[in-house]
Parts: sequence; structure tokens; C-alpha cells
Amino acid sequence: MELESLLPRVTKPARYTNGEWNAAHKDPAGVRARFALVYPDAYEVGMSHLGLQVLYHVLNSHPDYLAERSFAPWPDMEQQLRARGLPLASLESRTPLRDFDAIGITLPYELTYSNVLNLLDLAGIPVRAADRGPDDPLVIGGGPGAVNPEPMADFFDAILIGEGEEAILEIAEAAAEDDRDAALARLGEIPGVYVPANYQAAFAGAGPLGSVTPRNSAPAHIVRRLVTDLDQAPFPTHQIVPFLDTVHSRVTLEIMRGCTRGCRFCQAGATYRPRRERSVATLLRQAEEAVAATGYDEISLLAFTSVDHREIEELAAELVARFGSRGIGIALPSMRVDAFSVALANTIQQVRKSGLTFAPEAATPRLRRVIGKPMTEDELFAAADAAFSSGWTRFKLYFMIGLPTETDEDVAAIADLVQRLVAFGRGALGSRAGRLRIAVSIGAFVPKPHTPFQWVRQDSRDSLNHKQHILQQGLRGRAIKLSWTDADVSALEAAISRGDRRLGRAIEGAWRLGATFDAWGERFDFSRWERAFRDADLHLEDYANRSLEVNDSLAWDHISCGPEKDALRAEAEQALGRGEA
Amino acid sequence: MAQLICRYRKGDRLRWISHLDLKRTLERAMRRAQLPLALSEGHNPHPRISFGPPLPLGATGDAEVLAFYLSEAIDPGEVKDRLNQQLPSGIEIVEAWLPPRYKKKETFGDIDVAEYQVGIRGDVRLTDVSPRVSELLAQEELVVERGGQRPQRTVDIRPLIFSLAAEDAAEGGIQLRMRLRTGSHGGARPQEVVALLGLEDGDTTICYHRTGLYASAQPSAAPRKGALHRWTRTRSNKERREER
Repeated sequence: MELESLLPRVTKPARYTNGEWNAAHKDPAGVRARFALVYPDAYEVGMSHLGLQVLYHVLNSHPDYLAERSFAPWPDMEQQLRARGLPLASLESRTPLRDFDAIGITLPYELTYSNVLNLLDLAGIPVRAADRGPDDPLVIGGGPGAVNPEPMADFFDAILIGEGEEAILEIAEAAAEDDRDAALARLGEIPGVYVPANYQAAFAGAGPLGSVTPRNSAPAHIVRRLVTDLDQAPFPTHQIVPFLDTVHSRVTLEIMRGCTRGCRFCQAGATYRPRRERSVATLLRQAEEAVAATGYDEISLLAFTSVDHREIEELAAELVARFGSRGIGIALPSMRVDAFSVALANTIQQVRKSGLTFAPEAATPRLRRVIGKPMTEDELFAAADAAFSSGWTRFKLYFMIGLPTETDEDVAAIADLVQRLVAFGRGALGSRAGRLRIAVSIGAFVPKPHTPFQWVRQDSRDSLNHKQHILQQGLRGRAIKLSWTDADVSALEAAISRGDRRLGRAIEGAWRLGATFDAWGERFDFSRWERAFRDADLHLEDYANRSLEVNDSLAWDHISCGPEKDALRAEAEQALGRGEA
Repeated sequence: MAQLICRYRKGDRLRWISHLDLKRTLERAMRRAQLPLALSEGHNPHPRISFGPPLPLGATGDAEVLAFYLSEAIDPGEVKDRLNQQLPSGIEIVEAWLPPRYKKKETFGDIDVAEYQVGIRGDVRLTDVSPRVSELLAQEELVVERGGQRPQRTVDIRPLIFSLAAEDAAEGGIQLRMRLRTGSHGGARPQEVVALLGLEDGDTTICYHRTGLYASAQPSAAPRKGALHRWTRTRSNKERREER
């Protein structure tokens, strides 16, 4: 009732009202552990996250457990909640989060971390794990950001490293313990679960140098959990159907996990290895069930590179045959840069054609070799040729600047390559040349833990701005639309991603200065973060812009996420030459 | 191809769902119900669904209407049941029928009057509001600003208010009943009337509920008594017999 009176005063009130199709409303009587699954961003972002729906499904399918959802309230709602002293609650039963047994929070990317603290505070839960008492819920993290848990270690009671569906029931069993300390002890015994309080962080000067060692009998290394048989892994076909238009309003069908390409900058590529596939038979069954249960008119084939699925052609043909006539489209969100991908997209997108996206990442063969991106210029032009002749007139290109060993010439080559594609497109399209649109998206290289480039420094913000300027000069023209990530945002991302446990102080400081929703451009204020780093006696540059030695002990070395450090070192040396990292 | 018309109810649970979101919700429910929807031609085929005038965000309604096309004829009662099984709570198809004749493209284009009940609870008394209602109706002109926070245009809504009355509400507080012009040729919004009465500020809780949609068949003038016919009751007995 109280929430009801706030709804006329906020934007998009449907973010808070629930009642969506397939949402679970489970009776808490007889349940042994209640979970609030929280995504630290707005509802429409969080509801597009498959991981949340997987865990929701696994927990609610089990008779002993219950899961409800909560998201970061938008600032206007936050203001209303704070003004009336209302605690943040779950969507389904409007139970205050602090009354759950456990709160599971996804760590999707670094720029959501300020929201995590804000959520806990709005829920009336102490933000630091050390300040929580026997009646507070367990605060458990997980997700892609968990591969370097240190910057958020002080705020979590436990953090799962690896794939959630593999460990969630073991975690739920621990959360069912009546006594909080007993629950924590049991959590510490689950493989892949990191209980930061059981570990001591030592620092060796400025930046992420140092080590994290167990205080007691806790294991020295936390080894990530991994689904071995994806075909048998739980998958939610009864996906919740939001009323609001979310980032992805469609059936998400996860066809494959992991990536076989060894792009050296890519953290997900490194930490989700090896490649695991679902079989065509399983996928067709899941697609039928999901379409019947949701009523969506599009199925998106989720994978890092969907065209790398070994049976993609058979799968595509079957899906088109079964769903095409029903007006249900198939989307291929991730492509390789080659003509095969375009041909496949063309067969698959018979109902409706979405855009094509290619990620060459770098524009010179030398730099592509350095980053391990297996693509030639011929392949790119062949892909473009196939796209133009199949009727596409617009596509998107992703490039990165600030890559290791990059020179101004490498950057200028991006503009040159795009201009040559424009000229090629004009020729290929003939009378339709006026419709040609190439959206060029420029990201900045961010060194990520557990990748061969984890030791490499990020380009300074001045240098990134200078390189953006080169591209602004070179990428003019009616057919080109240029966008890029702000250098300040990239610097913060780099600092947090290579952060150690001390960095938690800067994150907490920035939040106390008002940082939330940092991933939303208009909400991001770099000066808050600069001040928070200063107040914490830390330098952002020590984390983002320093080269680390390959033999250094690093703040995340206690986390085993797939590739061994020796293998990463060998890759780095192959890319950059010995000693250059 | 068969057109089907439904009257539906949008209840409390869904009052904060926008018209566009409701539209998507219905499309998905129709697909879950496996109704043979007729799809539009072209690059992006979609089901052909049309709606009566949208409800304002936060309002509920009993007399809402929608129409859609099926590629094969199915008994309207069966369509209603199948759809209701697939609709989230807060929306319900109350009745479904085949239109008496093939309607022109604008299925609901003749709807031009909407009837609202506005419940106002809190610090409000009928003895204060009634004189304000009479005063308001006695005005020759009632100019309101439109266009969001930076007002860009003004509209005189006096000719668009056909009736307005205040009464005590059974559940406490007061209730306004009003008939307002609606539709594509311009209309008045119930919130504007409430604001003109000075009732939107303070600690009142206001619930907007639409009780009827009408076609006056006289688009330019205020409907005279007896000229209104309720849109969802337009079928004569003869037409009903024909449908069967």
C-alpha cells in the first residue's frame, strides 16, 4: 500500500509493480531458505540478464527454496524511499530485503559497484560485511565481476567464483542454517565460494601488487565452478516476460558457453573456457517451450560467437523452418567477421532483418596479431560484400583504441579502413549508395585480470583523448556515425577491474559522495571518484596505468579462473616480446 | 480473415502499465493462446491489433476495447476463454464478439466520449467541492496548458466537458463523475479537470477509473441527452442473431 502511493511520483512505475507473466509467487511456508536475487542496475537492464533468470528458475523449482527479485531503484524512487524511511523490498511479495535469508547480488561490470552499496544501504543492511550482525541476511556475490573479487571483498559475506547454476543449491543449503556463523562456515566449505573474511590481504606498495592468503584452514586457491554438461544444465524456458520494454525483449536461448578464439584482451573469453554446446535437439525443444511459455516473437541465439556452434547451420535451418511461418524471428547477436556469418544471418533473418555487427577491434594486421584477433581485411571486405548483396545497407563496427603497442598510425588506420569500406559500399550499392550507414563504435582497451594482457598498462586518459581526436578528424562523412566511450569511464573501469582490497575504500567513498548508476553517462561524475580515491589515499593511475611485471604477485592470484598464470605469461610474451609486458 | 472485438477490463494490478506496454502484453498473450493471428505484410510482420483510446497511466478501466484479426474464424467465446487463461492478473477480457459488418480501417474512430469516475480520498469534503464544480461549469472558457514541463500550447477544454458532478463516495472521500470528449479530434483529460478543481495537490489519493466509452455520432457538438450510445453495446438484437 505504501509503495502504491509512491508510484504516481516516479518515472516508469512499472519497474516496481511486478505481476509479470511467469514470475513466481511461492508460499514461504515450508521453505527452508529465502533468497532475494538482486541485479544492481535498473529493472529493464537486469531483466535482460539471463543469469538472473537461470538462478531464479533453479531456486524456485526446488521445494525447499524460494527466490524473489529486486533491482536498483531509479534515483527518483530512491529519493521517495529515503524520504519516507521505506526499506528496499523484493518485487514479488514486497518483503524487505533484510528479512530474506540471503541476498544474491550479480556483479555484472565495474560501473555497477556503487549501486551495490546503495542497494544494501537502502535495504537497511550494513554495507560492510564486518558490521553485520546475527540477524542480517547473508550477502553473496557472483557473476562476471567476481573473477577479481578483491575491490568488493569487504562488502560481501561470500562470493561465488564461476557459473552460478552449478553451485546455487549448495549455497542455498548453507543459507538454510539458522545460525549465521554456521551458515558462513558452511559457505566457506563449498568449492568455488570465496569468504573474504577468511583471507588476509597484504599489499606490496602502490597498485594491485600483493597477495591474499588464508587466515585459517581455508583453501589457498579458489577454483571457479564450471558447468561441465551444458546440454543437461538447467535452463529457464518459462522466462519472466516484463511489461516494460527491456534491453532484450525476446527469448534468450543460450546455445553455447565459452569461446575458442583467444583474443588476448578478452576476459570472458578466458574465464568461461572451455567451449560447451547445447545439442540441436535440446535447443529445439527449449525454443518450442520458451516460445509457448512467453509469447515472444523473437528468439536470440546467445553465445560469445553464435556462429562458432558446431551445428549452427542445422540449428538455424530447423529454427527457421519451425518458427518462420509463425512470424517468430531468429536473431544472431554475435558474428564472426566473414562472409559465412553474413550468409547465415541472411538465411536466419527471414522474418525480420536486424543490424549486422562486426568487431575487427584493430585496423592493422600487425596490431590484430598482437591482440590475437584472427581476422583479415579480405574477410572483412568479403563480409561487407555479402552484406551489401543480401540487401543490408547499414552495419556496426567495433574498434578499440589504447591497445598494447598501438601507435598513432594504427589509430589513423581505423579511419582509413572505415573510409575504404564506405567507398567500397558506395560502389557495391550503386543507386542505393545514399542509404549506406556505418556506425563506428570506439572502445578503450581495459586490462582485465586473468587475461594475457592483465599486466599491460592502460593508455593514459590524455593519450586516449588524443586518439579519439584523430578518429574524429578522420571519420567524417554522411555515411559514418561515430561513438566512443569516455576516457574517464574507461580509466575507472580499468582501476576497479585491476583493483585490490584497498580499492573498496574508494568505492565506498564515491558512493558516500553520491555515486550511483555510473554506467549511465548522464549520472557519471568523475570528480566524485577522483575525490574518493584521494580520500582513500590511493591513486587511480597506480591501478589503471601502471605496467606490472610478469613475475609480480597480483591481488587476484588466489582466484583460479581457467588459464594458468604460466599460460597467460607465455601468451603475453608471444604477443609483446619478452619483457615488454 | 476474421475481425474480432473485445471489451476488456484493466484493473488495479496493471494500472501502472503504459498503453504501449499493455499492447505488447496482449500480443504476447495472443501468441501464448496460440490464436491464429493474421500478420501484416512487409519487412516486419506484426499482428494487426487496434485499440480504443488509451487510458492515462495510473488509471483503471472497465469499458476498454480492442480489435484484432485472425486468419481463421474461431468462436468469440472460445477466444475470450483462451486469452483470459494467458493474461496476467489485472487484465481480463469481459466479452468478445464478431463485428456486425466489416469495419472500416479505423475500428474505433467513432468513439468520442469517455466517462470517468474519479475517487478522491484524503482531506477533501463534498461541501467544498460541489460549489467549485458549479463554478467551473459556469465558465465559458477553461484554458489549460499542454506539452509537459515547458508548456507549448494552450487548449480551451470547457467545450470538451460534457458533464461533471461530485458526490460522496461509498468507501470514504468523494467521487467525481464526468463525461469528456476523447479521440483523435482532441479531448479533455480527467487529470486536467481534477487540477482545475484544485484537488490534485496535498495528501489526497486519486484513483482514475474509466467506466464507459461512447460514440455520440455527433463529433462537433456536445452530445444531447439520448444521443450517446455506449460503444460496447452498439449491436442490435438483429445483429446479435446474425452473429449466431
